[in-house]
Amino acid sequence: MSENGTLLTVRGLRTQFFTADGVVKAVDGVSFAIGKKQTFALVGESGCGKSVTALSIMRLIPKPPGKIVAGQIILDDQHLANLSERQMRDVRGGRIAMIFQEPMTSLNPVFTVGSQIVEAINLHRGLSRRQAKALAVEMLAQVGIPAPAQRYKEYPHQLSGGMRQRVMIAMALSCDPELLIADEPTTALDVTIQAQILELLRQIQEQRGLSILLITHDLAVVAETADVVGVMYASKIAELTDVRTLYDKPLHPYTQGLFRSLPRLGQKKERLETIPGNVPNPLAFPAGCKFHPRCPVGRDLEKCRAAEPELREVAPKHWVACWECPGYEEAKATDVAVNVAGKEIAGL
Amino acid sequence: MAQETTDRSTGGTDGAAASTGVMIAGRSLWSDARRRLMRDKSAMICFAIIVLYAIVSIGGVVYEILADRYEDIPSFAEMDDSSMIDQPPSFKSWKTLLGTDWYGKPVIIKAFLGAKVSMSVGLISNVIAVPLGMLLGAIAGFYGRWLDSIIVWVFSTLMSIPGLVLLIAIKYAFTGITVWGLDLSGIHGLYIALGIISWIGTCRLVRAEVMKIRELDYIVAARANGTHGFVILLRHVIPNVLHLGIINFSLGFVGAIKAEVMLSYLGLGVEPGTPSWGSMINAARMNLYSGKWWELTAAVGAMFFLVLALNIFGDRLRDAFDPKLRTA
Repeated sequence: MSENGTLLTVRGLRTQFFTADGVVKAVDGVSFAIGKKQTFALVGESGCGKSVTALSIMRLIPKPPGKIVAGQIILDDQHLANLSERQMRDVRGGRIAMIFQEPMTSLNPVFTVGSQIVEAINLHRGLSRRQAKALAVEMLAQVGIPAPAQRYKEYPHQLSGGMRQRVMIAMALSCDPELLIADEPTTALDVTIQAQILELLRQIQEQRGLSILLITHDLAVVAETADVVGVMYASKIAELTDVRTLYDKPLHPYTQGLFRSLPRLGQKKERLETIPGNVPNPLAFPAGCKFHPRCPVGRDLEKCRAAEPELREVAPKHWVACWECPGYEEAKATDVAVNVAGKEIAGL
Repeated sequence: MAQETTDRSTGGTDGAAASTGVMIAGRSLWSDARRRLMRDKSAMICFAIIVLYAIVSIGGVVYEILADRYEDIPSFAEMDDSSMIDQPPSFKSWKTLLGTDWYGKPVIIKAFLGAKVSMSVGLISNVIAVPLGMLLGAIAGFYGRWLDSIIVWVFSTLMSIPGLVLLIAIKYAFTGITVWGLDLSGIHGLYIALGIISWIGTCRLVRAEVMKIRELDYIVAARANGTHGFVILLRHVIPNVLHLGIINFSLGFVGAIKAEVMLSYLGLGVEPGTPSWGSMINAARMNLYSGKWWELTAAVGAMFFLVLALNIFGDRLRDAFDPKLRTA
């Protein structure tokens, strides 16, 4: 199964929340694959299902109201859905680690950061207390925290946001995971700190051969770090390809709109373009293509209103779900959950 | 009143000093609260009073052990003195310092031994109630769903019955029952009865707080690390509500002491013949007609200072643990 170095395969994932107001299809048939040592970015607006995808992979969807209705999540030949809760706990933190958006609240305020890292280590590694402590200090040093032995004894409120995110990364990496899920890791940080954290992630990826699932809404972050990008819109992937192709030649009108709304160096414009309208309410998605009410191309097209397009491979390793995309009619709906970039792109 | 306002204002500056102090060296909520408490004069005076009562209580225990062992030390029951009946307070001898009662027993000894009963009731009933309330509240708040429903149902049901009535009912039910060699008719039953009814406040408070905490990122982060749910509850949730337990312990202490006095007054508390402030008030009730005021005064006075000290201390403790006052 794990041919050409695929670490994680997600196929046809559907996660729904059964609320009093109706069923929210937060993730509706999402497929992708992450290669070893690869960074896969999941991009999209707030509420498009990025974070739910990540939590589904970890099987951390609060249940009820949430439930993974369908889909496969395969980590290195192992179907995560078949694992018992106990086995799943070994996967969490041990094989897949996660860091969060808000470093201010993701550490427990009543314990020192050192003791929290030691706790994470003790969960997955049979180390003595002294070894665990030494490893924790070493991890703090590795993520670039000065005076790690001193910081080890400090409480979260004594650290800045960037420091805390570093601590979170140290904690996540302390058990040597294969995949790191970074859920908007830089959103809550200053731009300068953002750059530092991204650089740190890249270094660590190089050193450890880690795969990263990066969840973000920041296209600049994506350009800097990702190998493969999946653009999500309204619970589905709208476009998926390697980062170069996506930035050179975005095909989906939504992706194009996202790029147009970015400021560019040297561009003289009074206003940035926007995508009109709002993210649709997940309780009442529009019929047909979910993007059509906001789409500059398909707003008035009968075809876009009538049916929802599936993801098709319009160019080699470039999938798009849009009726109006050139070549879409002839293209085939091939398996999206394959390792897109391969090693040659990952090595770039 | 003026004293109160100056106290408040010094409390405020202390708070400000502590808030700048937060940034200095490794200081947890606990050491921070301790520092704030240490600087609070009224809290420290109250604490000294509480410690004094505790020493007196331990003295009472020691005295009873000694009286048991040595023939020449009279036990409390042997202190009856027909020549000393109903003496008013005077400096004639230490025995009449606070007067004597109907049996000729010195009231001062009764008041001292009553402290032992009150302190032990306050301590033990809260040792039962607070951990019980915290555990149930944390479980209800953390797991939610049917566990929450059951626990909420239990405490709502208990709460719908007036506390004193419930207490009396439980005490009556315990009459004549012996469990593990403990006779529940007397003071042991009182500990348990008070423990059974006073966990509710802690439980509600902790439950609400835990419902807030369980949604926080560090709980999700702990899950994402593969921590077992129950371990998260013990390691990450309960330490964050422990201060609520401490505060409730000090405030519950007062409630337990008052309840013991009330029950003993009604004859449902300690075994008859055991010195306690409640039974003193009960005994003195009839004497008041004949102008014998000293036994009642001694009991009420002893209780007054302890309850006041505990109340103020509990209040200050709550302030010291309140992070919102820190930034004010």
